[in-house]
Amino acid sequence: MLSQLIANGIAVGCLYALVATGLSLIYRTTRILHVAHGAAYTVGAYLLFLFFIELQLPIVPAVVISLVLVGVFGVLMNCAVFEPLERIKAPHMIALLSSLGIYTITVNFVAMIFGNETKRLIPGIERTYHFGDIILNRMQLYQIITVFIVFPILFYLLKYTTWGRQLRAVCDNPKLALVMGINVQMIRYSVFIVGSILAGGAAMLSALDAGMDPYVGMPVFLNGAVAMIIGGVGTFGGAAAGGFFIALLQSLVVFQFSGRWIDAVTFSVLILFLVFRPEGIFGVRKRIEEGGG
Amino acid sequence: MSYLLHILVMINIYAILALSLNIAVGYTGLISLCHAAFYGIGAYITTLIMINVGLSFFPALLFAAIGSLILGLIISLPSLRVRGDFFILSTLGFQIIVFVILYNWTGLTRGAFGIAGIPRPEIFGWQIITLRDFFILTQIIAMICAFLIYLLMNSPFGRALKSIREDEVAALALGKNVLKFKTQSFLIAAVFATIPGALFATYMRYIDPSSFTLMESIFILSIIIIGGTGNIKGPVMGAIFLVMLPEFLRFLQIPDSIAANMRQVIYGFLMILVLRFRPQGIWGEYKFQ
Repeated sequence: MLSQLIANGIAVGCLYALVATGLSLIYRTTRILHVAHGAAYTVGAYLLFLFFIELQLPIVPAVVISLVLVGVFGVLMNCAVFEPLERIKAPHMIALLSSLGIYTITVNFVAMIFGNETKRLIPGIERTYHFGDIILNRMQLYQIITVFIVFPILFYLLKYTTWGRQLRAVCDNPKLALVMGINVQMIRYSVFIVGSILAGGAAMLSALDAGMDPYVGMPVFLNGAVAMIIGGVGTFGGAAAGGFFIALLQSLVVFQFSGRWIDAVTFSVLILFLVFRPEGIFGVRKRIEEGGG
Repeated sequence: MSYLLHILVMINIYAILALSLNIAVGYTGLISLCHAAFYGIGAYITTLIMINVGLSFFPALLFAAIGSLILGLIISLPSLRVRGDFFILSTLGFQIIVFVILYNWTGLTRGAFGIAGIPRPEIFGWQIITLRDFFILTQIIAMICAFLIYLLMNSPFGRALKSIREDEVAALALGKNVLKFKTQSFLIAAVFATIPGALFATYMRYIDPSSFTLMESIFILSIIIIGGTGNIKGPVMGAIFLVMLPEFLRFLQIPDSIAANMRQVIYGFLMILVLRFRPQGIWGEYKFQ
């Protein structure tokens, strides 16, 4: 029973890790706590619904087209809202509240088109696989495989490519990066693309497994933000680890108490971390408001 | 006529909510996303005391205010230790915790079923039953609240809060105890939020947790972002504007199935536009920093 719960926790943790890593990329580069990351999640799930169910495309092209369009959505958000704010040097608080506005618009727009009710992409029960006494369904397996493919690639890109080095430079000090001739604007666009694709991809995996409704983005953003803070704002790996930590904790809460108290426990943990260890599990000791370094 | 009176009552309730949130957001610079939690605590404690103990409206409201004060202390102790984005995230966390408690503590709050049959308020022998009475009551209370907040915010205390909002380090250097002032401001906002809660509960005669969600907190915040922060006029005009707006949409014959979503989309657009082009809000005077 316990090993099964841990396995479920890891599968959910894969989704949280994807979301939290995207959020962390955006937060560290732009210093915006990007609430509309949840909107990208909702958009990802519903694009897949549009292409896979409504337009009857096969699953692989449907996923590819949806991922590309989620990236475009990221560009649109940055182009329409965050770049104009950056040009007038608006405080980060305004960017956060505008991001909340984007979330409200997107989610309700999706609800106007597709309806407020829960939708499923694949009817019926998924095929399951047995590993000893652990049972995983096909989608949970895909979630774990995705993480094993995506994270090494992302790690490589961040660590060894020019883009990654420039991105980390912008994270450390945007002004200095600009002086050194790095195209900070391009880096900002690129993190919105990559972050939105990570969130949208996670949304598609989750939607194929359990379906979705337009409001699923907010709890996912919140879990991602909690994961990012618990893992430590200073590192990208920390956000991913935080995602697994949160998911395992939540599956243990379900085991010990009941599913109804998940949110209360998650946010109690967040508040404990904000008070006692604001740098997160893996972070360096530093006030988090000053940004990850 | 009763339709109009209902809208006026709702405007009064939201005006008090916006005015009270404005103490924290507009005067002190603390952007809080847990105002619906205090609103809900006000509604629930007033209701439970009126039904179970049999006290009348104002004594029950007093208990609600004390409850809200305690909750405010619990929230502000950890939240005020962090600044900016993380203060927002922390208050948001508490908003969700309070909602989960209201929703799941079924023994006390009856959870999703809500509490029905809340008694009407009676004030010094004045039985408040008709819509007209409710309008008069909420109007008087809203005006008293606005007046009290105006006095408080133009007192030396209010000026100290403004100095913290403009430059925290400078206020600290002038010997102001910044943490103490922030806590007091947050608690005053929390206590004022119980009044609309109690009015809402006795007006509707039925409450359930779905009235006190995160979306409600966001809505209250958007009232003062759009209406304006840092003065009395901004939140009041914002409440009038945002409560009336969906009623105008009703005349545009938008189908009911999408009307609620349509309204939210408009709020979102307004919020982004106001933040971009007029960060102090339409009628406000404080720009977010």
